[in-house]
Amino acid sequence: MIGQLVVEGLAIGACYGLLAIAVVIIYKTSEVVNFAQGEMAMFSTFVAYHILLHYHYPFWLAFIITMVFAILLGVAIEFVFLRPAKEPTALGLIVLTLGAEMLLMGLAGWKWGAEQKYFEIPMAYNVTHEPIKGIIISDWAIGVFVVAAVLMTLLYLFFRYTRLGVAMKATQQNKNAAKIMGVRVERMFSLAWGLSSLMGAVAAMFFASRATLDTNFMMEPFLRAFAAAVLGGLMSIPGVLIGGELLGLIENFFGYVWPEWKPIVAFLVIVIVLCVRPSGLFAKHYVKKV
Amino acid sequence: MKITKTVCTVLLAVVCMVAMAQDSFAVQPGFDGKEIRIAQWGPQTGPAAPWGSVARGSAILFNLINEEGGIHGRKIKYFVRDDQYNPAQTKAVAKELVERQGVFAFVGGVSAACGMAVKDYLAQNKVIWCGPSTAIVEYVFPPQKYLFGVYPLYEDEASILTKYLVEKKGFKKIGFFYQNDSYGKNGLAGCKQRLATYGMKLVEEIPVEPAEKDLASQMLKFKNSGAETVIMWVNPTTAVIALKTCATIGYKPQWVSSNTLSDYPLMYKISGGLFEGVITGAFGLTPDSSNPLLVKYREAAKRMAPDERWGTFFLAGILFAEPFVEALKKAGPDLSTEGCLKALNSIRNFQGIGPEVNFSEGVHQGTDSIQIQQCGPGASYILLQDWAFNDLATWKKK
Amino acid sequence: MDMKREYYEDIELIGSGVVLFWSAVLLLFLFTLPLYVPNYHIYLLNVIIVHVILAVGLNILVGYTGQISLGHAGFFAIGAYGTVFLMTHFHVPFILALPLAAFIAAFFGFILGLPALRLEGPYLAIATLGFGLAIMHVIGTWDIFGGRMGLHAPPLDLGIPQMGFSWVLGSDVSMYYLILVIGIIMVVGAINLMKTRIGRAFVAIRDSDIAAEVMGVNLTIYKTLAFAVSAFYAGIAGGLFGFVCGFFDPFTFNMILSIIFLVMVVVGGLGSILGAIMGATLITYLQYDLLKNVSEAPYVGEFLTNISRKWFTVIGLENVGGIALGLIMIGIVIFEPLGMYGVWIRIKKYWMTWPF
Repeated sequence: MIGQLVVEGLAIGACYGLLAIAVVIIYKTSEVVNFAQGEMAMFSTFVAYHILLHYHYPFWLAFIITMVFAILLGVAIEFVFLRPAKEPTALGLIVLTLGAEMLLMGLAGWKWGAEQKYFEIPMAYNVTHEPIKGIIISDWAIGVFVVAAVLMTLLYLFFRYTRLGVAMKATQQNKNAAKIMGVRVERMFSLAWGLSSLMGAVAAMFFASRATLDTNFMMEPFLRAFAAAVLGGLMSIPGVLIGGELLGLIENFFGYVWPEWKPIVAFLVIVIVLCVRPSGLFAKHYVKKV
Repeated sequence: MKITKTVCTVLLAVVCMVAMAQDSFAVQPGFDGKEIRIAQWGPQTGPAAPWGSVARGSAILFNLINEEGGIHGRKIKYFVRDDQYNPAQTKAVAKELVERQGVFAFVGGVSAACGMAVKDYLAQNKVIWCGPSTAIVEYVFPPQKYLFGVYPLYEDEASILTKYLVEKKGFKKIGFFYQNDSYGKNGLAGCKQRLATYGMKLVEEIPVEPAEKDLASQMLKFKNSGAETVIMWVNPTTAVIALKTCATIGYKPQWVSSNTLSDYPLMYKISGGLFEGVITGAFGLTPDSSNPLLVKYREAAKRMAPDERWGTFFLAGILFAEPFVEALKKAGPDLSTEGCLKALNSIRNFQGIGPEVNFSEGVHQGTDSIQIQQCGPGASYILLQDWAFNDLATWKKK
Repeated sequence: MDMKREYYEDIELIGSGVVLFWSAVLLLFLFTLPLYVPNYHIYLLNVIIVHVILAVGLNILVGYTGQISLGHAGFFAIGAYGTVFLMTHFHVPFILALPLAAFIAAFFGFILGLPALRLEGPYLAIATLGFGLAIMHVIGTWDIFGGRMGLHAPPLDLGIPQMGFSWVLGSDVSMYYLILVIGIIMVVGAINLMKTRIGRAFVAIRDSDIAAEVMGVNLTIYKTLAFAVSAFYAGIAGGLFGFVCGFFDPFTFNMILSIIFLVMVVVGGLGSILGAIMGATLITYLQYDLLKNVSEAPYVGEFLTNISRKWFTVIGLENVGGIALGLIMIGIVIFEPLGMYGVWIRIKKYWMTWPF
């Protein structure tokens, strides 16, 4: 039983982690918590659903088209909404993303209606394996783990070895210095939004295939992902993924003992953790320069 | 220059006031020689938006009546308002409808909290409210003069379902999985009341928040409790997550549910076929029925609202409005609120597409019976038990 | 143009005769409003004033002290539940129950202020968010608060029923006057507070908490105080909201409400009382009234219905309201970083220097 709880907790935790990475990529560059993250992912998933339903493309083709769309959506939101804002405050930026969230949610509701939809990915939840007696693992969970691992590796390679990745990292560390070194900082911002939107869309597809697809389905996961990102420290990508896993485990174990408190236990644990470590588990405490 | 400025500002203020003052006009009586105004609130946007189809469904019935020439020469003017499932907004909407549009009656109306927020206001203004699409005891007990319920109470439904499970199916270990609000808690109360008569107890009862997306620990808890059957009083999305999670962890109880999930084609589709075999309560004809009245509605819906799905909730919109329309017909051409109330109170054995509805002075809960159905292969409807009422019903005993 | 020559000019509530005149006109307008406004809109006005009180309080925290809160629906809930609970279980008269409940909310604000001493930005956001969710959940588990079934507000009695003196406010209009008076007191209180030592300490913390500390501002006291004051305002607003709405359940005070409150403050203008008032009014009016019934809207309704038929679905037409609200929020932030208060300043400048 404990083994099963661990597997389920890790699987859902990896989903939170993927979405949390998306949050962090944007936070590191633009220094804004993107409240539209969940809805950007939701919209992309709806696009995949639309392609599958109306054009009957094979899943992987639809997946690739959706990923391209997700990148374009992220870039477009940055370009159209965030870039023209003159001297926005941190809260102003949050309200911008909230506005984008309402916009996307409204558009999706207008186009596809409020009724729940069925969304399927090739990694099925009902094809199960039992490697050790008493521990059942589904293709869906294996898929989540594999995708999380692959994406983490790719992100690591990207930030380490490609020119683009290094330029993005430079932008995250110091915008002015990066500008002087010839990095087009604005483009890096757009790119970060595109990349983040892509990560979010992948996570959303896993969530949608586990639950149902509707216009509100990413609200709750986004809050969890935001919490996971904060728990992990909002800075290091592996830290954030671990934050997600921890969140999944905490929720599942507490949820098993006290189901009624499952929805809030993670947040309470985070508050306690933050009281001890104000910048999350895996980030060096940020010392403000005067 | 300063004077010009002041004059301009004062003028602006005066114009504003006049513009606002013109907006107000006297309350209308709810109907006139040409039309009867009827309204409904329902969430069209926000997290509860799927329930919004109830309010849109009622429009089919009213349009159909208008096509046939109206009721005693009066057309029905129907208003739908979006309240986003928020009681504060429902109250704003209700005030606007009653005091500005002058509606005669409300039909349907989703959400227990929203209904409770406006219930007293509607009664004070002598607006009839027929067939709320939520069932809570406070609506019908003690009987409210202007409020008529058509929806069977969740308590009764849970009680009847539990009786069926224990007596007909012989289940000993029953678990209850409920949404943590009045909908779920009423169901839980009914189930517990019935089990107490057998001297039994639930092996597990687990509440869930409507928006929760990860139910692994809850389902493992049910699996561990060894429940042979789990009654769920939840919304469609939660049910789908529960079914999918159980498919993963290899737990196959007999799932039982309230009529909230009785839209088999929808549930079958969004659960990827896992809904097959689930037993639910039901209180109306199925959407694919060949009943002539239902066929008429179905054809009308196809014509008037081609992008709507002909589902159970859409259908329920018609069902909730039917008794009221019947009362309007009975009230005759000389319409008044009192006359309409009298007609409603005298409805006996009314059969529309829903259950048999009876109202009287003392009982404003129109029906106490449900059917029990099972989802068959390909989302077909299998009738397990015909209309049965709850002999333990609390609202009748008091 | 707003040149201040001495300290006392800076702390005056009413700066000049012009301001006095227009304030009097505004008050007169507000007190006679029920004469021009149709009755069904009085309820909306009540909700707006309740939101104004809350937004002014939230602005003290967010705009003046620079702390973020995503848990204000929690304080709002404490106010609503506290007032009704004190009235029904302890038979405390309303005039006492409301401030008492607000003080309970302020106490919780003080508690929430403690972690805020070490947290900032998104970390504080998550901590406050967790608080808001926890309050909603805890209230929902206690049957004494009606649990998840919700709670009816008792009749609003301004007198002391135990002493045989009762004065029940039944209609929306009478409630409007009560809420308006409380609202004015709260707003004037906030304006004055910002001109005291405490208010200046808040602003100093916002601009740089380290510098403020160096200058002798006790961060522990003033940060927790900012949370407590803000929560007090939310508590008062919540207590009034309970009676305006008449019925509420824990889900009424969900996280979306907290976010909407934050939007009101930012759209109105951070660090400005007038901005908070305008923001709360605009967002509430848009949400409750203007952006509803899209298909029946004059001029655009027909057009939008046709668009829906062609490219979208008619079923989802109501979502246009949400889209419009989102675009308005985005537009205000993009074009006016100071929010609606910035727009107001521009209009004022234009009129003052007109025709130049």
